Amino acid sequence: MTPEIALLCFVAALLELDTTYAGQFQLSRGIMAGPLLSLITGDWMAGVQVGVFSELLFADISPLGGFLPPSTTICCAISLALYAAGIPLHLAFFIAVIGSILVAHVEKWMRKTRVKSLARWEQRVLQKPNYINRVILKNLLTSFLMNFLLLSFYIWAGIQLLTQLVPLVPHRADIACQFAYMAVPWLGLAALLPEFRFKRK
Amino acid sequence: MKKRQQLQLFVRSLFLQTGWNYTKFQNLGLAFAMWPVLARLYRNDKDALPSVLNRYLEVFNTQPYMASFCLGTFARQEELIAQANTLTEFNERITEWGGLKRALSITAASIGDRLFWGTLKPFTLLVALVIWLVMGVNFFDIPLSQNPNLGKVLAAAAAAFCVFNGVALFVRWQGLRLSYESDGAHCYGLTCFHWNETIYHAKKWGLISTILTILLGFYCYLKAFSPLQIHFLTRAVLVISFIMISFIARRLRIPTMYLYLGAVVVLNLVCYF
Repeated sequence: MTPEIALLCFVAALLELDTTYAGQFQLSRGIMAGPLLSLITGDWMAGVQVGVFSELLFADISPLGGFLPPSTTICCAISLALYAAGIPLHLAFFIAVIGSILVAHVEKWMRKTRVKSLARWEQRVLQKPNYINRVILKNLLTSFLMNFLLLSFYIWAGIQLLTQLVPLVPHRADIACQFAYMAVPWLGLAALLPEFRFKRK
Repeated sequence: MKKRQQLQLFVRSLFLQTGWNYTKFQNLGLAFAMWPVLARLYRNDKDALPSVLNRYLEVFNTQPYMASFCLGTFARQEELIAQANTLTEFNERITEWGGLKRALSITAASIGDRLFWGTLKPFTLLVALVIWLVMGVNFFDIPLSQNPNLGKVLAAAAAAFCVFNGVALFVRWQGLRLSYESDGAHCYGLTCFHWNETIYHAKKWGLISTILTILLGFYCYLKAFSPLQIHFLTRAVLVISFIMISFIARRLRIPTMYLYLGAVVVLNLVCYF
């Protein structure tokens, strides 16, 4: 893994904290994360494209209640890292969408696991109220590390696997993936129309 | 509300969802946000702190941008609880606090979900898309065109960032003050904003912007070809088919991401057979 991709994983894991853990300034959205991460790889147009496509792809899934939509930051980071390693963008994006769905499942698992520690944390907070600051810091660090390691491994494995597999991908399969990639913005834009459905006053 | 206290609550409210769990949801974040207020109120009665904190460690879940309305109200209510003179008064205020916590968190979440997730987020996405398309950053191009000017790339993202955070930070900051200063007659600050009217107008503009973005995108996607060319017709038919498929999928409640993953599989099969 090159220092450039390691830096990309680091920044993406930081941006990912903005999704739910800290701030929620929407820096983790595709349209922000894509161009920001592409400053590291140097291909801004690829950053804009994967940013827009990933955001449109997940636009119809909102984080209502405890529901976790796949992360657009993770999708952008994986797409850009694989693209920087020489994988065609339409194939990189497909792998990235699967990666972001997997990361959302890991986050769900983390939230379930946190329940096991909850009683212990609450007990400690009641004994020593200042401990709440440590609990929050611990959760922030755990999430950052988990995302960073997961992203680094997924990208490393993706590069190793795809650099071997891409030359073997039949031309027809490549065209099929490119065609599906081309459809993404239109599918996403059309899905936005019902989002703005409103009742007459 | 003193500015220092408002600032403390505001900064700590940014971490409301840290420690989110499936049993008590945002309870850790709520206790973290309220900690400076509680420490100040009970600095002379440290023995009372565990039972007070215990109330904040119970189930709590709301929309993060609207949580400020809950936090401001809790700060005010906690002051009233701390000032109770008799045990009966204390118990009454605790019961009232519990009812408020439930009612406010649900009401604020309902408004916040419609305003921020349902309207403002897709609207700011459209703002960025329109700016990019108008400035000639054609993200529909496959394969990718040459790298555009970095300023143009960042301008649209910055515009969307400013529009969203302008509203979100305003609601977060004002929500703390209004809910602290208002009473039940003003629904603890919630009635100070015209939520329904704002959401109605934002959705109306959102719908117009979506149609405009689709038309602008359609133009940018096809402008390189003459209307009589086969490429123009093929592309036009494809775009219209994708839009129709998306509508049908929406009716069947299939999320777009599954539609895309399904399209990859189906198109691969079509290409082979």
